[in-house]
This record gives sequence, C-alpha cells and structure tokens, in this order.
Amino acid sequence: MISLVVVFPLVYSLWMSFADVNLLRTTGPALDLFGVSIPLFRYVGVQNYVRLLADPLYWDSFWRTAYFVGAFVLETAVVGLGMALVLQERFLGRPVMRSLLLIPWSLSRIVVGLLWIGLLDVEFGALNGLLHRAGLIDSYISFLKSGFSALNVLVSVYMWNQAPFATLLLLAGMQSIPTELYMAAEVDGAGYWQRLRYVTLPALRGILFLVLVVSTVNGFLMLDLIYILTMGGPGNETTTISWLGFQTAFQFFKFGPGTAILYTLTVLCLLLTVVYHKVVFRKLDAEEI
Amino acid sequence: MKPGALERRATRTLVYALLVVVTLWLVGPFIWLFVTSISYQRNLLARPLALVPPEVTLDNYRMVLGLVRFHAEGQAAKILPSMLNSLVVATAVTVVNLVVGTTAGYAYARFRVPLKTFSLFALLFTRMLPTVVLIPAYFLLFKALGLQNTLTGLVLAYCSFTLPFTIWIMKAYFETIPADLDKSALVDGCNRLQAYYRVVLPVSGPGLVAAGAFTFMLCWNEFIVAQILNTKLGMTTLPPVIAGMNAQINIDYSVIAASGFLSALPAVLLVLCFQKYLVQGLTTGSVKG
Repeated sequence: MISLVVVFPLVYSLWMSFADVNLLRTTGPALDLFGVSIPLFRYVGVQNYVRLLADPLYWDSFWRTAYFVGAFVLETAVVGLGMALVLQERFLGRPVMRSLLLIPWSLSRIVVGLLWIGLLDVEFGALNGLLHRAGLIDSYISFLKSGFSALNVLVSVYMWNQAPFATLLLLAGMQSIPTELYMAAEVDGAGYWQRLRYVTLPALRGILFLVLVVSTVNGFLMLDLIYILTMGGPGNETTTISWLGFQTAFQFFKFGPGTAILYTLTVLCLLLTVVYHKVVFRKLDAEEI
Repeated sequence: MKPGALERRATRTLVYALLVVVTLWLVGPFIWLFVTSISYQRNLLARPLALVPPEVTLDNYRMVLGLVRFHAEGQAAKILPSMLNSLVVATAVTVVNLVVGTTAGYAYARFRVPLKTFSLFALLFTRMLPTVVLIPAYFLLFKALGLQNTLTGLVLAYCSFTLPFTIWIMKAYFETIPADLDKSALVDGCNRLQAYYRVVLPVSGPGLVAAGAFTFMLCWNEFIVAQILNTKLGMTTLPPVIAGMNAQINIDYSVIAASGFLSALPAVLLVLCFQKYLVQGLTTGSVKG
C-alpha cells in the first residue's frame, strides 16, 4: 500500500520528465483510474534530458552543488565530531547539554533561515553588530551579496542545523566503546590525541561513514534554506540542482524539464542508497546494534 | 601543588571554555531570535547595537496574534489559523504513523515478509528519495482528485513521506525486544494480534514516543510540500506563511521574528520533553534528520 502511494507518483513524475507538460491544456490523452482522469500529456522522448545536458546553467548548478555538498559534508563531519568530543568529557550538567544539542535540529528550516537573517543581515544583523562593536569592521558586511559568500553562508547555516544530529550519532557510538580499551591505552602511556587516533576514531568508523552518506544526501536535497535565504541568487550564484529543478517546475511551471532535472538528482540518491544499504547491513552484521 | 594537579586544572578549564563556545553556538542564535522578537526594530537598527534590548515590548506578538492593527495585518492575521492547520495536520499524520507504521514495523521485525530484503531496500530508498521529485505528480494528482488546498491532501502527502521513517525506526526498536516475550504470550493463549498489542506494545513506549515525536516535528516544520500543494493562504501551514511574511519588504524583522519564535516553540518543547526517548529511538534507527 505504501509502495503504491510512493511508487505511483514516482512513476508519474518519471513519465512527466519524458513529456511536454502543458498545464493549461486540459484535453489530450489521459489515464482513467477509478473515475479520475489523470492527464498524460504528449510524449517527447528524451528531449527534456537532451536539452538539460546541453544547458550551461545546468552544469553550473551541477558544479555548484558538488561544492556545496563537499563543503557541507566536511563541515558537518568536523563540527559534529568536535562537538561530540567536547560533550563526551565529564562535566557538570551533561544531560542539559545533550538536550541543548537538539535545539538547532528541531527547528523548521524556515525558522533556521529566519534567525540567521537576524544574525547576518546588513542592517540589523547581530553578528555584524558584535563585530562592529568590537571594532573589527567599520561598516556592516552584506554576507549574502556576493555569490560565493552567500553559498558558504548556506553551507554553514545548514551545518548549524544538521551537525547536532551527527553529534548525537557519534556520542551514541562513543558510549559503546568499552572503557577497558581506554584504560589499556592509558597504561601504555597514550596521551589524549593518541587515544583519539588509535581508539576512538577506529571504533567510530562505521558511524562516521553513516554520517557522511546521510549528510551527502541531505546536502543534495537542500531546498528550504535557499528559499528563505537567497532564492538561488544573487543572479544564479547559489542555484544548486535541487533549486534549479524546483524553480523550473514550480516558479516557471515547466514540469517536463523540471522533473527531468529532479530525476537526475534521484538517480544520484539511488546510487547513494545502495552504498548506505551496504553499510547499514554490514554494520548490523558486525555489531548488532 | 603537584604538577599533575596543575595540568588537570588546565584541562578542566579548557573543557569548560569549549563548553561555553559550544553552548553559545547551539543556543545563541535561538536566544537572539527571542530577543529580537521582544525588541523594537529601531533598536535593532541602532549602532552600536545593544545586546541587551533597551526597551522590551510585546507589540510584535500582539501584531502577529491580531490584537493590534498595523499595516500588514492581513498577512499576520493568517498566523493563528495556519498554526491550527499545522497542529491538525501534524497530529493526524502522527496518529496514522503510529497505527500503521508500528504494525508494519512489527511485521518486518517478526515475520518472514515476502521480498523482505527488496522491500526493505525500497523503504530505505524512499527515505533517501528527494521528496521534491514527487511533488509535481502530487500536484497534478491532487488537482484531479480535488485535494489541492485541503488539509486531507497534505496529510496524505506527509504520510507517504513519513511512514517509511516510522516503519524503519519501529522495526529497529522491535528488534531490541526479545522475541521470547511474544512466544510466551502465545503459549499463554494469546493470538498474534493480542500478543502484539497486549504484550509487545506496552513495553514499546520509548520507541513509540520517539517515532511519534519525530513524525510530529517533521510535519510541523515541513515547508516545500505545503508551499506548493496548499497555496491558498488560509489552507496552508505555518512555515509557508512565515516565509511569505519574510518575502514582503514592508514587514519589520522583529514582527517576523515573533511569528518565527511562536512556530519554533512547540517543536523545541516537544523535543526537549522527549529528548531521552528521541535520542534512543533515532540512534537505533539512525535516520536522516
């Protein structure tokens, strides 16, 4: 039943990516299903895909997406691991800190975007205000004005939202490392960094890989932050593939080319699922968690 | 003082310093959102920026809740109804997920399901799938079915996105409950169904809470699907309304911040309340965030 609810739209979207979808035309071929007429539009073959692959805008977005995903995955892994290492230490109020960890992650991305506008805005941004007060800048910086800086802002804001989840997974992994290993390492005279390098990191390998795959997929699909922060601009300089697809389908109402763009993303995600699947099942075999 | 003690104190200090940094990073932006929501815009624009607001006001909340008249009240008046819509949709989806999703999860955990590996893979793939690729199909299907701009349509769409998550989490959770428990119930004269809801479900509290809270949070926060499927202002949920306010130049940021804070509060409180179960459930299910 579930597969019906998901598979049918999936196939229908796939069909649209091979069709000339005109939303205004109501006549034409249609599929009659339980008395509901579903428009089928005119089949045009691979035309949408051919045009897409010839479109420089698509390739620009493609490379931008590659940069975005790479930077996002790297930042998430590093910050996520860093926070996990700090929170792993023994200190007063550790349970409270673990709750705080969930705050950025539990916010709607619309609110996440909104509150970072409050920090970064060129007129009333608090970060600008702080830097200005500290005398580090003479006038407020417009973080979203240049394309590259805006892209990096998107990466960091999304990381702020997602890294806590990586931290949670890593903390859970750290708790399953037997303390005897650390004691043995200490007896052997290993310092903090050596314990990290030879005990903690090898034990976390599986979870780290999981974090990498999940954040790669999330990076490819990110849309809502772009909507609230940059709308793909300035110009097209923060347009990723998912935004290009969204824009083509829902702002220009070109469903055919739009779904074609989004389908190239889907194929990427399918490949990543295969990888993820292998990891999850290997992990289950090896550790039984 | 012994040299070891000095070193330990230095480490302690470093740990607490890092903790302060992490805490500021996690909650600072959220607290600032609250600060801006009780400030006047003119104070946010002042330079140097005051970190403690010189004037505190509830005017922004009054505007958002429609208690005072102001120039953009048409937009702000939609906050409360759309909050109600969000609540209705998120609750309905959560209930469906808990009933259908847990039962399916139980079936996966305990029975030989035909094509088990394949359907599990399909499940995983729907979780990694760019949901945005399905939206054009939903858009046209819902138009044909008359479900556009209805809460029912939104519930249906959300169920198809969230059920795979719930099944996955609950399957992982049921697998941690020993199958002997069901067997002894069967020996005691229960049938399968009774064994499930009289014996297994009562000890699955944490898993149910995790899956339920997670589903509720996802639906409460979702933006893209609601934005496209329910364009009519009174029929949509909170995130699209907030994004719409943000897109209008003539609304003060402090007013939008107030609505953003209102929308963030339920999800944050929910997650903080069920923090323990959520972390447990999500790390066993290790889902995408």
